[in-house]
Amino acid sequence: MSEFEKILSTVFSVGTLQQMLRSATPVALAAIGGSMTEHAGIMNIGMDGMILMGAFFGVLGSFLGQSALAGLGLALLIGVLVGLFFALLVVRYKSDEFIIGCALNTFALGLTSYLSRSVFGNNGTKGNPALPALHLPFLSKIPILGPMLNDQSLFVYLTWIVVLLAWLFVYKTPYGLWLRASGEKPDTLRTAGISPKRMQWIASLLCGILCALAGAHLSLGQLSGTFAENMSNSRGYIAFACVIFAAAHPGKAYLAALMFGFFEAIGLRLQSYVSADLTNTIPYLITIIMMVYVVARKQQRKKKLARA
Amino acid sequence: MKNNEAVIRFEHVSMQFPGVLANDDVSLEIRRGEVFALIGENGAGKSTLMNILYGIQTPSSGEVWIKGKRVEQYDPRIVIEQGVGMVHQHFMLVPSFTVAQNIVLSREPRKHKIFFDNAAAEAAARKLEAEYGLTVPETEAVEDISVGLQQRVEILKALYRGAEILILDEPTAVLTPQETEELFSVIRRVVRDKGMTVIIITHKLDEVMAISDRVGVMRKGRLVGIHETKDVDAAKLASLMVGRPVIFDELIRSGEPGATALRVEHLQVSDHRGLPAVRDLSLELRAGEILGIAAIEGNGQSELIEAITGMIPVRSGRVTVLGREVTGLEPGEIRAAGLAHVPEDRLATGISGLATVADNLLIGRQREPRFNRFGIQQNRKAIRDYAQEVYQRYDIRGAGVDSLAGDMSGGNMQKVVIAREFSFDTPVLVISQPTRGVDVGAIEFIHSRIMEKRNQGAAILLSSADLDEVFRLSDRIITLFEGEITGTFRAGEISKEDVGLYMTGSKRQGGQEA
Amino acid sequence: MIKQKINTGYLISLGVSVLLAFLVGAVILLCTGHSPLKAYGAMLSGAFSAPRHVGDVLEYAMVLGLCGLACDLGSRVGIFNVGGEGQLLIGALTAAQVGVALDGASAWVVIPLAAMAAIASAGLYALIPGVLKVKLKVNEVITTIMLNTVAASLCQFMAKGPWKSSNRTLIAATERLNADYWFGGLLRGSKLSTAIFAAAAIAFVVWYVMQKTTPGYEMKLTGQNPRFARFSGLRIDRKIILCMTVSGAMCGLVGMFRVYGAEHLFKPGVSNDYYFEGLMVAMIARYQPLATILLSLFFAVLKIGAEGLQQVGVPNQIYLIIQTVIIFFMAAQGGFLEQLSHSRNLNSIRSSKKGGA
Repeated sequence: MSEFEKILSTVFSVGTLQQMLRSATPVALAAIGGSMTEHAGIMNIGMDGMILMGAFFGVLGSFLGQSALAGLGLALLIGVLVGLFFALLVVRYKSDEFIIGCALNTFALGLTSYLSRSVFGNNGTKGNPALPALHLPFLSKIPILGPMLNDQSLFVYLTWIVVLLAWLFVYKTPYGLWLRASGEKPDTLRTAGISPKRMQWIASLLCGILCALAGAHLSLGQLSGTFAENMSNSRGYIAFACVIFAAAHPGKAYLAALMFGFFEAIGLRLQSYVSADLTNTIPYLITIIMMVYVVARKQQRKKKLARA
Repeated sequence: MKNNEAVIRFEHVSMQFPGVLANDDVSLEIRRGEVFALIGENGAGKSTLMNILYGIQTPSSGEVWIKGKRVEQYDPRIVIEQGVGMVHQHFMLVPSFTVAQNIVLSREPRKHKIFFDNAAAEAAARKLEAEYGLTVPETEAVEDISVGLQQRVEILKALYRGAEILILDEPTAVLTPQETEELFSVIRRVVRDKGMTVIIITHKLDEVMAISDRVGVMRKGRLVGIHETKDVDAAKLASLMVGRPVIFDELIRSGEPGATALRVEHLQVSDHRGLPAVRDLSLELRAGEILGIAAIEGNGQSELIEAITGMIPVRSGRVTVLGREVTGLEPGEIRAAGLAHVPEDRLATGISGLATVADNLLIGRQREPRFNRFGIQQNRKAIRDYAQEVYQRYDIRGAGVDSLAGDMSGGNMQKVVIAREFSFDTPVLVISQPTRGVDVGAIEFIHSRIMEKRNQGAAILLSSADLDEVFRLSDRIITLFEGEITGTFRAGEISKEDVGLYMTGSKRQGGQEA
Repeated sequence: MIKQKINTGYLISLGVSVLLAFLVGAVILLCTGHSPLKAYGAMLSGAFSAPRHVGDVLEYAMVLGLCGLACDLGSRVGIFNVGGEGQLLIGALTAAQVGVALDGASAWVVIPLAAMAAIASAGLYALIPGVLKVKLKVNEVITTIMLNTVAASLCQFMAKGPWKSSNRTLIAATERLNADYWFGGLLRGSKLSTAIFAAAAIAFVVWYVMQKTTPGYEMKLTGQNPRFARFSGLRIDRKIILCMTVSGAMCGLVGMFRVYGAEHLFKPGVSNDYYFEGLMVAMIARYQPLATILLSLFFAVLKIGAEGLQQVGVPNQIYLIIQTVIIFFMAAQGGFLEQLSHSRNLNSIRSSKKGGA
């Protein structure tokens, strides 16, 4: 086997794909939430804070109620509250969404670290009731796909459902039309008798919930009931990049999250060849190139229209 | 099926905005099956009154009745239910949605209760198209279709929502004459065949005469008269709109035209959508003359002026100022070559509302040594003195040179722009809409300043939507239609009526060059 | 972006916001079983009880202030530099490596070269989003956020790989700088160094240019209404790109100051989202340079003071909570007041109606 083939077989191994799926899931959940706010015309960079809140309160709920479901419940409740708080400031009080997003990230970092140390002490918490991975016997019979998909956290499968539901919601229901109109041309909606602000409230709420789920997945699923300070680790920003990359299309956002997951996974696996730090930059650079491409294509289309 | 039943009744409606009484005790009845024209100058309160009717704004006092029912809650949804539809001046369409999606938005056909039924939406659109004879490409995105078609989509949208009363806000401002004619035939058809009631807001008097049964005139928030259209003429309406028969003092002209100062050769310009707006246009402007452009909005005059002044790129052709080619240069370089510019949209282009009046008067001269210490530090005292002097010379009235320009009235804001641009003392001036939204007193002042510049030997290119203004100031007039010159006239050699024929392209001088 | 002036109303709302934020902090402290009075007392003594604390306050105020001013500079011409964090890291890394590579040369050679390297690398790094914004209208907020992560990864890579320190206990760091190149310490035990004089000079120049000069006036008009600025003959594209580049260069210099003044080597920890904190200070200061500098001092006191909280057993992150709550209040108050006056108007209309009837 040549060196090149070795690299190839490492890159496209079941382990890589499993890892890709694992890394992509929380990012994808948040990115779908971010797609909602993006469609509603809100540039939401506060997702990192939203994820962190979900992660911490998931563990806190699990610790207090001694059950993973209690953790999930508390995380969801916090997701609702954070989403409503975000909407209160951005939609109702018309604050700059960027300022609020920035501040929300820092606020979440401060609050969760503070509470974690106050409740659990300086060493944090470990081993609270966690969400188990699902083992589906029928899957293990299928080659490659089977092991790749099996024994994953419940959230991995949940995310697929969320992607499907979000896609249906945005593109196949009247509410999705209203959501997109509220971001693209709110006055159109207002003069049709539908409040664009209501759609923005709903989008923020959904985003809060989905980001909290992403956080709960991190702490209750992946790290089996452990909270670590700043454990969102910029996933909110990655999710934001996915939203931009996918032009807020939930399906494409999931694919973008898979791309980020893929590069993270091969980064870990190819460490002896190339630093993970370098492979990590690739998705961000692709996102920037994508943005430039979108602009260039728009200009080209304009030219075409002019010629016709 | 005309009768005198009132479908809409305004009773003592007033609308107070901070600092402005937009509607002042307006009472008005609109009858079923009529075309009612509501006219007035910019800021007379027409749009506010219609926004109240449409439920977008809640009046400060007074009542509105629709089909015999008092409006309890000002909410577009309720008003739409009662059969009122509105086509806004700025279209309320989502650019990325298809035509059909825009038509059904907010009342979408559904399948399985929660899903949007796109096929049914397109079918509904087609059905309406057939019923009213208004064809639109229902599967195309709105951003890809022409403005005229977009307006049709707006009308279909209102009809889809079951409108019996249709409000059209400045519907012809963006239309070509053909499109206007088509729109009017649609209006006539829906009124005749469907018994609809149409309210049309406009300030174009010929259109009022052509389409309406009755006309209401608004001035400074008040409804000052309601007439049967057949009982009035355009001149009567004009004098009602401005409050008194407008008789300005005769402006004194002196001097003879001199050498050519601005030359435009075979100019081609595209509009912001990339479509051709100015087609192979050539003109010459001489020192000491005012060349007026008479054109209906959207016939290339804006693009012509922005291309000459460097605000937008030129596709081909040449622009020469005082013998120096300036094609494709930046606005600052063209100003330095000797051309100052009063832009048509003063808020967007002519001032910075967030800066002080002094800062707005200074820009363009800020690098002059007298305004700088050590070559870099602003000499605030010298700047203030200069601004103060200009402020007085141009009779600007407001809260002083240190107040924000954005807080001024339209007329004074315009004086700030004119004061700054005129004080560059350039040989060429390009002036667009010098008195739009400006009160009568300020109009007189601005006109005499323009004439003074002319008499001092400036070459002035003037564009105005106000035909009277073009006639009053110009030495020569050119008419533009669809980006081409259709006629050149010496002032006094042609009547407004005849100019109208050239502006609408129905007459054309052969092989025109100005 | 709200562009408002500093006036009495602003000062009042700032005061109220700060008070409310401390109140929120007190509630959180109470809920977690701490005495707010004791905690706030510990914060005060944490900032002022010893000269070295004061030194740290000043050092951190320098970082916040320069970052905040860098943000002001961009926002003045209408471009929002969110990428300062990445620019800071890039500047810190290149400056550090210049010091390592030229080891042995005179400090008079190394320090100016290091500063130039920081300015050039960070400036170029800011140039990318600037050009993309001006030439292609690509949203600079998004690109700079992306480039932050890219910069962090790149610096991490260099510090772990090619430029890694020979000291094995350090995972990601460059070689320690020769002590000859360090900025002199000003207060024993604190991070404060002579870099603060350079920082003060830069801050003065930025304030002077923005507030007092003709180019500053042109920048202001460009940011307020770019179309009008271009109409009036300003080359706005150049101005925006230049301001963005200078903003990046300033962040790069902050990185160099952190390396040569405080850390004496490059490691990713030369900045822990310091730029974001500076940016928030700039936001609270409404992008006004003088207010940015003053508020930097205030927040530096808060941050360094919070380290004193450890001694009374309170986690110091309460500082982040208080800081962001101030921002929430400041950001919301515009809309909040508007709504308040609106409902008051409605009420007065209703009551006058009733009175009239």
